[in-house]
Amino acid sequence: MDDGLSSFRLPRAPVAAAAAALAPAALLAGCSGPQSWADTAGVEAEAVARLLWIMVAAAVVIWLLVIGTMLFAARSGPSDPRGRGARGLVIWGGMVAPTVAVLALLVAGLILMRDLTGRTGELTVEATGEQWWWRIAHAAPAGDADAAPVPTPNELRLPVGRTVEMVLRADDVIHSFWVPSLGGKLDMIPGRVNRLHLTPTRTGRFRGACAEFCGEAHAQMALPVVVMQPEAYADWLAGQAAPAAEPADARTRRGRELFLATGCGACHAIRGTAAEGKLGPDLTHVGSRLTIGAGQLPMGRAEMARWIADAGAVKPGVRMPAFDMLPAEEIRLIADYLVSLE
Amino acid sequence: MKQKTLFEEGSLWPVIAALGIWAAHFLLSYWAAALWCAKAADGSGSLFWVRLAIAVLTLLALAAIAWLARHAVRRYGGRLTFEDDLTEDSAAERARFLGHATLLLCALSAVAVLFDAVPAVVFSTCR
Amino acid sequence: MTDAPASGPMHPVLPHPDCQDDPALREAQEQRLRAVWKKPTGWRYFSAVNNDTVGVWYILTAFGFFAFAGILALLMRVQLALPDNDFLSMSLYNQLFTMHGTMMMFLFAVPIFEAVSILLLPELLGARDLPFPRLSAFGYWCFAIGGTFVAGSVFFDAAPSSGWFMYPPLTSEPHLTGIGADIWLLGLSFIEVASIAAAVELIVGVLKCRPPGMRLNLMPLYCWYILVVAGMILFAFPPLIAGDLLLEMERAFDWPFFDTTRGGDPILWQHLFWIFGHPEVYIVFLPSIAIIASLVPTFARVPMVGHSWIVLSAVGTAFLSFGLWAHHMYATGLPNISLGFFSAASEAVAIPTGVQIFCFIATLLVGKVKRSVPMLFAMGGIAIFVAGGLTGVMVALPGFDWQAHDSYFIVAHLHFTLIGGVVFPLLAGLYYWFPFQTDKLLSERLGRWAFWLMFVGFNVTFLPMHLTGLLGMPRRVWTYPAELGWDTLNLVSSAGAFVIAAGFALIVLDVFRPKGRQPLAPRNPWGSPGIEWSAAVPGESWGARCVPIVTSRYPLWEQKDLVREIDEGRFYLPDAEEGQREMLVSDILDAEPTQVQRVPGPTYKTLLAAALLGACFIFGTYKLWWLTGLCAAGTVAAIIWWLWTGTSQIPEKPEKAAGRGLTLPLYASGTRSVGWWAMFITMIGDFSAFVGLVFAYFFFWTRHEAFPAADAGRPDLRLLVTGLALILAAWALMELIRRRHAAGGIAWARWGCPLAALLGLAGAAAFAGALWSAGLEPTRHVYDATCWVLVLWLGAHVSVGAIMQLYCAAGSWAGRMTPRYDADLHNVELYWNFMAATALCSFALLGLFPLTAGGP
Repeated sequence: MDDGLSSFRLPRAPVAAAAAALAPAALLAGCSGPQSWADTAGVEAEAVARLLWIMVAAAVVIWLLVIGTMLFAARSGPSDPRGRGARGLVIWGGMVAPTVAVLALLVAGLILMRDLTGRTGELTVEATGEQWWWRIAHAAPAGDADAAPVPTPNELRLPVGRTVEMVLRADDVIHSFWVPSLGGKLDMIPGRVNRLHLTPTRTGRFRGACAEFCGEAHAQMALPVVVMQPEAYADWLAGQAAPAAEPADARTRRGRELFLATGCGACHAIRGTAAEGKLGPDLTHVGSRLTIGAGQLPMGRAEMARWIADAGAVKPGVRMPAFDMLPAEEIRLIADYLVSLE
Repeated sequence: MKQKTLFEEGSLWPVIAALGIWAAHFLLSYWAAALWCAKAADGSGSLFWVRLAIAVLTLLALAAIAWLARHAVRRYGGRLTFEDDLTEDSAAERARFLGHATLLLCALSAVAVLFDAVPAVVFSTCR
Repeated sequence: MTDAPASGPMHPVLPHPDCQDDPALREAQEQRLRAVWKKPTGWRYFSAVNNDTVGVWYILTAFGFFAFAGILALLMRVQLALPDNDFLSMSLYNQLFTMHGTMMMFLFAVPIFEAVSILLLPELLGARDLPFPRLSAFGYWCFAIGGTFVAGSVFFDAAPSSGWFMYPPLTSEPHLTGIGADIWLLGLSFIEVASIAAAVELIVGVLKCRPPGMRLNLMPLYCWYILVVAGMILFAFPPLIAGDLLLEMERAFDWPFFDTTRGGDPILWQHLFWIFGHPEVYIVFLPSIAIIASLVPTFARVPMVGHSWIVLSAVGTAFLSFGLWAHHMYATGLPNISLGFFSAASEAVAIPTGVQIFCFIATLLVGKVKRSVPMLFAMGGIAIFVAGGLTGVMVALPGFDWQAHDSYFIVAHLHFTLIGGVVFPLLAGLYYWFPFQTDKLLSERLGRWAFWLMFVGFNVTFLPMHLTGLLGMPRRVWTYPAELGWDTLNLVSSAGAFVIAAGFALIVLDVFRPKGRQPLAPRNPWGSPGIEWSAAVPGESWGARCVPIVTSRYPLWEQKDLVREIDEGRFYLPDAEEGQREMLVSDILDAEPTQVQRVPGPTYKTLLAAALLGACFIFGTYKLWWLTGLCAAGTVAAIIWWLWTGTSQIPEKPEKAAGRGLTLPLYASGTRSVGWWAMFITMIGDFSAFVGLVFAYFFFWTRHEAFPAADAGRPDLRLLVTGLALILAAWALMELIRRRHAAGGIAWARWGCPLAALLGLAGAAAFAGALWSAGLEPTRHVYDATCWVLVLWLGAHVSVGAIMQLYCAAGSWAGRMTPRYDADLHNVELYWNFMAATALCSFALLGLFPLTAGGP
């Protein structure tokens, strides 16, 4: 036997143990963010986060126990194979403890799931996944039951404290609707309708994303989410339900002419004009939105012009063709018109 | 004394039979719920009949596993101990080994069957 | 309490046969064995079929793909190191992450299990080779050709780019995905065939090729794991093959299985994929745990504590892992209670896993552990894997998974389980078995460096990803904006990835550095108990000098003089008198020898068959149908040539002396032959694929109010009855032929087999006619397409059955099959039993089921 092999030793404090012990501290310090499911702003997300912290704490303790035992076993001298240590380890550590732990976890997890899905919606928002944007339609303002849902593509606004039922569909491929701060994700599947309940608990701006790989521009399919006071929400929704404002000046009037003449209306609708396209997002109130291109650029004239000239440069794969064959001034005019549509 | 059946000495079937019972219990429970919710459930989506069926299935599965465990003990001399090394070079020892493995798998399967019954306790609708 | 100690040891170890005392005789025997088992050299090198040669090719190729996929990962890490980075284009990144997952799973994790097992299994069993050496070689060539085709696509900007689980409708719309998806579907189907071939071989190897005395209770743990995992492959891969078939039919011929506008449903793919995909995780994990189970007793210097408990855990894990598939589908909106069942099974599977890990720890506790590089990798692997397992029980809860799913939390979880549970144990095995194969030890110093680089690098890379996921980063994004707090974490992960790569590079360096001046390793350098270490140094290509009698779980520890007696050829088959490659076949329970099996030697026929089959799949990818058909015919011809010249050869004498006064037959038919078992096991796998199609039918039934719909055509019942009757007649005739032929009725085989073939083909034609005459159009609606795919399956199988029947008839005419030597006929009869079952199920679905749906 070659004893040279036993000439080195395992280090006394494995790096992983230190790292695992530090992890929770790091987690607590750095878990905030607009798309974080630890930085919660909804009843559903809070329930999951509570369970998360309990499980993380338990997992760290269990990991340290198991790996500590392994390291101890590897360094301890020989002991009786029929002794109680080995048997106890396998029966209690390997069998009984995991069984009890996972059974408790299962019960807790199923009850959590029941709670997450047990609410009924006080208002309904329809969201349809498209490559690579969100077709969103709010139920028309209260008291106007017959009115068509209000399209507000690529932006989700919700009143705080009310449970919303998201009605999720997909047109082309599978997408997944996920606003981590509010709650878990649910897939949007062609041919199916899924319903997700969210109950925001504080106002603010959050970010959602498509979580199921849906093709080329999947990475850039974000969803700005705004949670507002119910009154502000009602005002906003009433505004969105109205047709587009008439151009206020010659410049935007010229922009509208160009918009219609260039054929933008083949894909986009602006309610109150001849543009009635359904392929792309409805632009009736595009100027009131926070971002352009499903969360890719902040709303602004220069950004809008950049997007129109070559959307694919901002968001590779995007279905909207580049319009850089138009003179730059015409693009600026169209952009100005669109940004004026608040 | 030597009648050749599936569960006769020297057959490997008992070893996997307990897990087979778990698999049957799992699939039947899943199918019952999935078919009920897809085809039969009314507007409220009540799972009453499915839960009843799963309760019956669970009892049946546990009874079958218990029978199998008894068989493993009687026919194979299986024992639910930890120290049994069962390393002797003889056909009888091999049979005890299979009996022992069968018994252990019965225990695991019983636990797994109970786990699979938990969802039927927690959920009462197709939601 | 127990039965009388009925049968004592079956093989008296003493006295030794005296004839082996003569050194001259032993020398002559060794000369003959050496000549028979000689590996081809020079330009014939690639015709080798010896398990140790093919095994090494297999391992090198699989690690080659591992390195390639690892480099793809490094490129991705460079891209993600900074926000809004443009190091890679969107389109290239999408190809890279798809290829990384695909290659790691299909071209590394599963093949490496097969590779290691092909290399080790015969040696663990004291056997000379695997029962079907040419099948291993065929499997290897399929893997190498298919893998190169799939991996190479990335250089032509044509790689699949829809993620390794290929969800339709993204993948079923040719205009969305291009040729990449076809490459994935056809290239990997081809490799899955190779995987199933290896599984068949390994199951038969474990069950029928054990050394005398190795009863089931004495079988090494590694063999138990191989048996369990190969069994899992048999049930897990076929549903994916069925899924591949459906998806490719939609892509190539517009059969609308996943098109919701014509009744299809994309969720069906997810079911079929994950029925494969989750067992797959355990298919790659269990063999690596098996490596740890082999190392631990060696280095702890004591027998494994709880041996039978580990066996139970492996078997238990295998079963439970088939009840978890939908935990990848928690976010698809299935009813809560359905998710609950999968959640329950997902939690339950933690129990047997815990038992295994704690048995290892208990063994370490009982023994005095000898420190070594293999143990370092093994324990490091366990430390990582346990962490992955702990996040695993978290994400097994649907409520929690709705947040974690498809985020970097999952990326972290799966890499903890797969790198800790697969890669580290494999590297432990590499260090452990390297001297066994090459007679040289790897450097301990480099090994330690490599371990710590990989271990630290791993944690630096993947531990932060939990947090990245928590901050909401979805997986499979090629770019991300700066303001989300993901940048630092990603930069750290990217840095760690290069540390892992450096560690792996050290291992590669160590493996390939010239070792000419390094002394040979001592025989059995680790003091292992396993019989594979009985081989002399330097090694010989005969696998085992003779087939030993094993009466213990740890033969080299507990059987005194075993190595010397093996060296002196004092056990079975110490000679190759007839110049044939021979191995011992034994019974399943107690490993009593039943037959001497002759196995064929080097050949290029397997390479030819694999190349033609590969060409067939590749031409199919590019829709070059004429060339596809031509290559398919060529494949059939090459396989027939291979079988005709290499299997079921009539021996020159009925039996031979196997040593120690034991005389064994040289030929076996039916259940006593390894070929019958191989056919049986293959058909179990094949039938699981058919069950996948049946599942599809019922799945569509649950998705429709009426399936078939009232306006859908109903297959013509009279033609269906005719078809069923004809196929059952072919089956019954086959049964009769086999019996009459065994009784001397040669004419039954010569004339009956072609007749049965005609009956079967006519039956399949009648099935097709029943659909045709009812006007079922496979592109109209998913109902029509499902009916047609069932008939297509039946027709293809009956055609293969017909070829087998003609093969038997030809064998009889040529005198290579006689009433005494009729293994082929037994195997074909067995095949037709499955055909009868397939026809009955198809008839029930096509003919009877629509009656329950009402309609015209």
